[in-house]
Amino acid sequence: MWARAFAGIVPGFLLSAGLVGLVTWALPGPWQGTIVAGVIAFFVVWIAVMGASFQFANGKRAWTWLGSLAVVSLGALWLLQWLRWIQ
Amino acid sequence: MKISSNTLRTFTTLHTWVGLVAGFALFVAFYAGAITIFHHDLQAWQSPHGIHATTQTLDDAQRLLDETLARHPDARKHVGMVYPGQEYPVTATYWQDATGQWRYATTEHPEGIDEMPGGALSELVNALHYSLGIPVAGTYLMGIVSLLYGLALISGVVIHLPKLVEDLFALRPGRNLKRMWQDAHNVIGVLSLPMHIMFAVTGAMLCLVMIAMLALNPLIYRNQLMTALGPAMDTAPVVAPAGRTEAIGSLAMWRDASIAIAREQGVDDFEPAYLKLANAGDANATVEITGESSGTLGPLGSVAMNANTGTKLATQLPGQRDANHATLSSAYALHFGEYGNAWVAWLYFLLGLGGAFLFYSGNLLWIEARRKRRQAEQGRAQLWMARATVGVCIGVCVAISVAFIATQLLQLPALSGIALGFGVNVACFVTWGLCGLWAALRPPIRAAHELLWAAAITTALIPFAHGIVTGAWWWTSAAAGHWALFAIDAGAIAMAVGFAWLARVTARRMRIGEANSVWALAPATVTARVQAPQP
Repeated sequence: MWARAFAGIVPGFLLSAGLVGLVTWALPGPWQGTIVAGVIAFFVVWIAVMGASFQFANGKRAWTWLGSLAVVSLGALWLLQWLRWIQ
Repeated sequence: MKISSNTLRTFTTLHTWVGLVAGFALFVAFYAGAITIFHHDLQAWQSPHGIHATTQTLDDAQRLLDETLARHPDARKHVGMVYPGQEYPVTATYWQDATGQWRYATTEHPEGIDEMPGGALSELVNALHYSLGIPVAGTYLMGIVSLLYGLALISGVVIHLPKLVEDLFALRPGRNLKRMWQDAHNVIGVLSLPMHIMFAVTGAMLCLVMIAMLALNPLIYRNQLMTALGPAMDTAPVVAPAGRTEAIGSLAMWRDASIAIAREQGVDDFEPAYLKLANAGDANATVEITGESSGTLGPLGSVAMNANTGTKLATQLPGQRDANHATLSSAYALHFGEYGNAWVAWLYFLLGLGGAFLFYSGNLLWIEARRKRRQAEQGRAQLWMARATVGVCIGVCVAISVAFIATQLLQLPALSGIALGFGVNVACFVTWGLCGLWAALRPPIRAAHELLWAAAITTALIPFAHGIVTGAWWWTSAAAGHWALFAIDAGAIAMAVGFAWLARVTARRMRIGEANSVWALAPATVTARVQAPQP
């Protein structure tokens, strides 16, 4: 269970950041207006991800899935930011 | 609802683990949190003037502001002040000196003091709530506790889901004690779930916002978060001093101007509460007045003006504020119960006590689930959990009541040598430690019985300490219409009755309860009683 727990805590943190980043930047309007809502939403998403990480069958699957999703979400966010396709 | 047994097992383990780790801290957070709802009233309760505490006038406040600006150069850069009124009868100015230390001045102490005036008791209870009283690290610890709490809520709901609907209003007292405690634990948990989710999220946010921002800054905000925060979160723009001197306006002018500006924006009942003044004496001095309005979830709004002319610079008012201000204002108001009227405050108080019960009962459930039913001797872990639960949880109740009493006694002339804040803190933590020690040395059920009586007695003494030292007996407060003072004293009596009832229930359990349990009296005592009647 510890492996799954840490999967939620570490790559889960990054995944939550990526998801919140994608949503807050993709919304219309400048991102500065989403700061407070984004920080609050981040905690909601992170707690949910940490809870969900226990649904994986074992630690290895949890780390693999959450790690990959974190890379994908943050990667997508950084790409879109670099391309200036989102504000 | 069908949930796989594997999931149930996993989430039960998760729920148990986070409950054990965070449960004690959460008990303190909720018990102190319930009391800290009334932190303003605690300041009035602490005041040695009792019912004779008069609200200072705007003239008093103006004199204090002028004196502060004249005496303290650091205050001229940036100073805060509360408007004297019902919420803050005694006005104070506050600023940070060159070392970053907060300084306060009142009409009684214009030279400046280091402790927030009138706040020893309310500060202690508040500190217990958000940091367990542990300086610096305590806040971050409670942030982690809030996250664990969020996990406890999710896992608690998941494991309860299969029986959620059928068992929701079940409360089955009887021989199966575990089922009764479980029912009580569940019904309070489910009914207060929305509020507890809000507390877990806002609690984590309030404690960990700095760390979250430090991490999210490079991850999603392209390292621009820190520079964006000022313009996003402040109302008053940061204006560099012009270098030209100009006299600032008066408190009265600012109050009237801010009310007028608010009315222009459609807010009819803006009531100035406190202000922030920057660059006093300069032509570009700015003042930001924060005030309360009704009819909104986030009651605090602000108006920023040039401090000399009263011209509007910016506003963030209910109904016309941006997403950041509206969200933060609502999040704060939801967490602290600072919206609506007194009924909301009392509802939050009950939620706080109910929440505290949730964690206490959780520990009891853990012990009960692991009880060895066929023998008197129980596992060491269960025994120490019982001791810890009694010592920490009942202990903090005793400690806070002692802090209340100490707050009054230390204001007696005979004890004026002891610094109030220091004395109240020492009284609280020493009492808490002694209660823990008592619980470690006694059989758990005896410790529970004795500490509950200690809680009952010390809590009952609170209104007496208040009456003896300030003359504000609860009937006097009621007659004078000081309902906040009355409510605290009457509330203490009610809590004392509650503790006494719990003590009696515990005594009954001690006499007639299950023998094979950590809560039974030690076997030696039982044997002695059996051997006593001898011819």
